Amino acid sequence: MPRLPLEGIRILDSTYVFALPYAGGHLADLGAEVIKIEGPGRPDVTRTGGYAGSFPENQAGDGWWNKPSTYNLLNRGKRSLVLDMGDERGRDLFREMVMVSDVVMENFTPRVMRRWGLDYPNLKKLKPDIILVSNTGYGHGEGPYSGYPAQATTQEATHGHCWVTGYLNDGPAKAGASFVDFLSTWSAIFALGAALRYRNRTGKGQWIDIAMYQAGVMFLSEYLMDATVNGREGGRLGNRHPYRAPQGCYPASGKDQWITLSVGNDEEWQALCQVMGRGDLASDPRFADILSRRNNHDELDEILGQWTAEADKYDLMHLLQGAGIPSGPVLTGRDIHFDPHYRKRNFLERVDFPEEREVGSRFLMGRPYKFSNTPMSIRGPGPVFGQDNKPLLQELLGMDEEIYQGLLDDTIITDTPTSGEASPQMEPTRAVELGLLADYDPEYLQRLGLA
Amino acid sequence: MLSGALDGVKVLDLSEDIAGSFCARLLADYGADVLKVEPPGGAALRRMGPFFHDDPHPEKSLFFLVLNLNKKGATLNLETVTGQEILRRLAPHVDVIVESYRPGYLSSLGLGYDELSKLNPQLTITSVTPFGQDGPYSQYRGEEIVNYAMGMIMSISGVQGREPLKHGGFQAQYEGGLFAAATTSMALFGREFTGQGEHIDVSITECVASTMMATQTMYPFMGGTQVRRRASGSMFGHPMPCQDGWIIVQTGGGASWEDLSEFFQCPEMLEERFADRAQRAENGEELDRIVIESISERGKWDLFPKAAEYRMLFGLVQTPSELAQCPQLESRNFFREIEHPELGIVKVPAELFKLSETPYHLERPAPTLGQHNREIYVEGLEYDEQQFSQLRQLNVI
Repeated sequence: MPRLPLEGIRILDSTYVFALPYAGGHLADLGAEVIKIEGPGRPDVTRTGGYAGSFPENQAGDGWWNKPSTYNLLNRGKRSLVLDMGDERGRDLFREMVMVSDVVMENFTPRVMRRWGLDYPNLKKLKPDIILVSNTGYGHGEGPYSGYPAQATTQEATHGHCWVTGYLNDGPAKAGASFVDFLSTWSAIFALGAALRYRNRTGKGQWIDIAMYQAGVMFLSEYLMDATVNGREGGRLGNRHPYRAPQGCYPASGKDQWITLSVGNDEEWQALCQVMGRGDLASDPRFADILSRRNNHDELDEILGQWTAEADKYDLMHLLQGAGIPSGPVLTGRDIHFDPHYRKRNFLERVDFPEEREVGSRFLMGRPYKFSNTPMSIRGPGPVFGQDNKPLLQELLGMDEEIYQGLLDDTIITDTPTSGEASPQMEPTRAVELGLLADYDPEYLQRLGLA
Repeated sequence: MLSGALDGVKVLDLSEDIAGSFCARLLADYGADVLKVEPPGGAALRRMGPFFHDDPHPEKSLFFLVLNLNKKGATLNLETVTGQEILRRLAPHVDVIVESYRPGYLSSLGLGYDELSKLNPQLTITSVTPFGQDGPYSQYRGEEIVNYAMGMIMSISGVQGREPLKHGGFQAQYEGGLFAAATTSMALFGREFTGQGEHIDVSITECVASTMMATQTMYPFMGGTQVRRRASGSMFGHPMPCQDGWIIVQTGGGASWEDLSEFFQCPEMLEERFADRAQRAENGEELDRIVIESISERGKWDLFPKAAEYRMLFGLVQTPSELAQCPQLESRNFFREIEHPELGIVKVPAELFKLSETPYHLERPAPTLGQHNREIYVEGLEYDEQQFSQLRQLNVI
């Protein structure tokens, strides 16, 4: 087995929700020993409530907090330590753990780590070359919003994403799912690789201070340039492109099935007319060049929509791509499990849960990249709450049995969350009726070969 | 004394697009020495707007400018035998090549990973493409809208009864660039121990897909397929109009439903018909009406700090010019100014995140076309003046 890039790197991952927990999961894929730390009364919100994703067969059941789909996707391959950081004894154990670790990741609001005496200057005293990764909504420092609560859904408005996203001639909209979280996820992985290399060469650690807001704004760089240089405010183009035409998302045959296509120049336009069998359009002056196609985009949308509506979305993609026109079907969460390209690239990995977890085997997304010389895979599901309490404290800190029992008795350590509820699960057929689900397929386990 | 975390890393950036350029810029931002290598006619991104004062000149693309900060630039025609030979001469001296050509293109020129890694086993080639290096769609053409569509996110963006909606801008391309930079930094760290480079294959479509946590996992966990929001009746999580713009509110966070009712000054929200998620969905249109009416006379900049007092998850829709003047971004030193030889002093979005020991530096603007040719070819590769002139005349550089 080739050596994984992060072999021998121990990471204390005291992070919640999406952004950094997912970074931790990816770092585990890359070979790090990632120890997820949660509080007895603070199980990660992807275990509980509305952020948990789905339960196996839509049933919470015993040990429900270890079962949710989103929790297991994000926290794959980690170990679990449950520690009450609100208690000085818990914080002392955390400090001892810091002394035998390489990296600490946290996403508390800026004042919390300071109040606990666990901010970077203090961690550095415990371990001079420690690398601390912090992710907050608006970033540390003295800025006016640094103390504001934040989460992706609402930040996507504040960081400008909604201003440029939305149907043409309509109000701002947001992406269907959290978006900005993942900019922090990958900023953290990028920064950490650089910081580890720097430490390896100089012996110095450092503090990585990531702000989701700032990352989100960075992704609108060309709009910011247009605003500062040309005084233009950008705005919403729906599915259209600033320099290509036509571009759009058109109906395909079947319920709620869609195809996208994008035409960049006259040659591609001629090719499109040909595959549509519409020689008349090829010579139509309304669509002769990019400018006229932009000016008559509404009419084009109508014509294209009528043509696509009768055909299968995959057939359309192959036909259009065969003619050199960028095109692809709108794939759903279900579709990608059967898509030949996703399958060929092994993007989805079958993860087998230990039998006692009553989850069986499920497909989870692996990585959006491959290394040619170092194959990687998901190294296991997300850990059971507190599963490594004892081995970690004994192995790493040499704790004796009596002290361990005392901490258990005082719930500084536990393997059962002291608060949190399973998100209420709605009957899938009812959810479809209410428009909260697109579709429900009772045969999914058979179809995926997981039955 | 090192000053950047990636000091000493040498990068050739062969990319002509958004994703590859952004990837290489991030490496440059944190200390790598990056040379942008463009075809003699300039990278495709130079022809993409917005342009400085709307003048579509290759040195005035603001998109090219912002994604190529901190790089030096040279031209090189890889379609000539001499150009290929020059790249082979450069390869042993660099750590990373970033590229975004159609899979197989560089190999067809004898410049793929297999060939170049023989010259330099430590070399990492980071390829960032719409669908990745292999698989049945690898030769298909990508576009931003196609990456969104096939990355699942469009299936749940927009509203029911209308077509799926892409994000504005080029978010997928930026994602591809950031994810590629991250995997490159990991490969560089791994190389410290193995002495070996990698061919990194980043698929932009998979970058988008990888963010769809609940969407992907729903099907194998319980057989469901996620859906776009209803057009009305679920304004929580949608931008809502207020007096002078739009705001957005999400339930959860530190505020209860009662807190939200107080914040909106809307006692009706506490009525039985809005008591839980199912009832709010069923009576959604009425809920929207009540809430939107309550803020019709209130301004977004007054609501924002007020919501923070309630510990609400709250946002307001900011425009690009509002962002350019944002005091929070200013406190983070996000924007910097730099002098460009053609455009004068420009303000640019600069720092992605803060590193305490090896802080971000903005050292140079994007290169003009072939700006550092002499430095690379005459001083570096030791071509004499006559040869240098020949390379230019033969359209190699």
